[in-house]
Amino acid sequence: MIGLLLLWHVVSLFFLATFLPSPAELLTRVAAIFSNPSAYRVVGKTLERILAGLVLSMLIGAAIGLVMGLRRAVASFLDSWIMVLLTFPAISWAFLSVLWFGISDLAPIFTIVLIVFPYVTMNVWEGTKAMDKELTDMAMVFRANRFLLLRKVLIPQLMPYIFSSLRISFALSWKIALVSEAFGAGLGVGKELMYWFQGIRADMMLAWGVSFMVLMVLIDLLVLRRWEQRVFSWRQAAVA
Amino acid sequence: MSSNAVEIESLSKMFPAPGGLSRFTVLESLSLRIERGTFASLVGPSGCGKSTLLNIIAGIETHDSGEVHIATQDGGKSNARIGYVFQSPRLLNWLTVEDNIKFALEAQNITRANWGERVRKYLDLVGLAGQEHNYPLKLSGGMQQRVAIARALAIEPDILLMDEPFSHLDEITARKMRVDLMHILEHAKPTILFVTHSLREAVYLSEEVYMMSVKPARIFKHLRVEIPRPREPEDPRLFDLEKDLVREFFSVLEHDQR
Repeated sequence: MIGLLLLWHVVSLFFLATFLPSPAELLTRVAAIFSNPSAYRVVGKTLERILAGLVLSMLIGAAIGLVMGLRRAVASFLDSWIMVLLTFPAISWAFLSVLWFGISDLAPIFTIVLIVFPYVTMNVWEGTKAMDKELTDMAMVFRANRFLLLRKVLIPQLMPYIFSSLRISFALSWKIALVSEAFGAGLGVGKELMYWFQGIRADMMLAWGVSFMVLMVLIDLLVLRRWEQRVFSWRQAAVA
Repeated sequence: MSSNAVEIESLSKMFPAPGGLSRFTVLESLSLRIERGTFASLVGPSGCGKSTLLNIIAGIETHDSGEVHIATQDGGKSNARIGYVFQSPRLLNWLTVEDNIKFALEAQNITRANWGERVRKYLDLVGLAGQEHNYPLKLSGGMQQRVAIARALAIEPDILLMDEPFSHLDEITARKMRVDLMHILEHAKPTILFVTHSLREAVYLSEEVYMMSVKPARIFKHLRVEIPRPREPEDPRLFDLEKDLVREFFSVLEHDQR
């Protein structure tokens, strides 16, 4: 790690700081960005869009995946359409949504949802195939109604698939959000990247990119993983 | 009203044969009556259709002809309450022991106000008081099966179906579970239809034993075990009974094959 930083430092000596900053210079840029209160508004705005896109993708994706798993007819109908969505070039959605929705919050959210939800659907649909028929039979014998069956028997079996979808979707969502914001947002981290790109300021682009990445990793570790551990605490019992 | 808890009248069931062109008969015109509060066992070799019969009674398998009637406490106004203990516990591993039992109570629309008392009573009965908040995977196989028994008893079923419930346990645990089941039944006295391939298990536990032969399954022998309960597992009278039944069973089997 230290060696890598040292190498970076040495290489950076041959270039302008605005082309390739040294680690120390990068840190001063980060500090400069976040000493300005408006930076927090920029980050907050981007986080809002990521959250909205992620939640919608998870809800839509999981609901469709579940219905596909429970109704064979729906699955055979939707299967190829989901594949179409998955193969459609992601960048096209980013441009199209700017054309359709203009400079607004809707453009990045729409882009995230269209790219991310098909992954969630495929994953949850896969999960429905691994559901235990014996548990469903048990629930039928005890006369559980549909709602109870779904809530206590089927959805808990999908939770591992839902959580793996969530973490992949989160990683995808924030990358898509930045790209989409670069073209179609008035305010946002993606917009900042575009701004500094046009000013030929690699140092500022790196400063924004690295600090946002750190924030995303922290959210993954402190929120998503902890949440996952809590939901699956019943599993740890097996080890004990 | 008759005192029968279960009446099965000339029940037939066919399955499609592998390949799907023809069908073979699993159950042919099978009739069975179980009196209320009786422990009845159905003994037969593997694959004779015992589990199919239980599943038809439980309503998770269809039948081709005949009738299944289960008497309910209110004389048929509501659906019969069916408790089922499967070979494996089939617990919901993401719910605590307590919530697994409440799942069955909720499924049966039992008033929420009674849940706490039912959970306590039946966990106590199966010897798992204090395990309410544990998760199933933390329990041994035997304890998990006890939870499954508590779950089935807690709905206070019109009929309790048990499908080789101890066959997945090691013999020492299984023996203890049988003895304990005998004691549990002194406190709760549901009508039980118990399926097993073990004659020894059947004669030890039951008041009535029905013996089944294979393909198609029919009941060729009905026997009342007159030894008073609770019984000792090593009671010599049980061994004698078992020996007689084994002899008879093989003679019928050979006759069938001829």
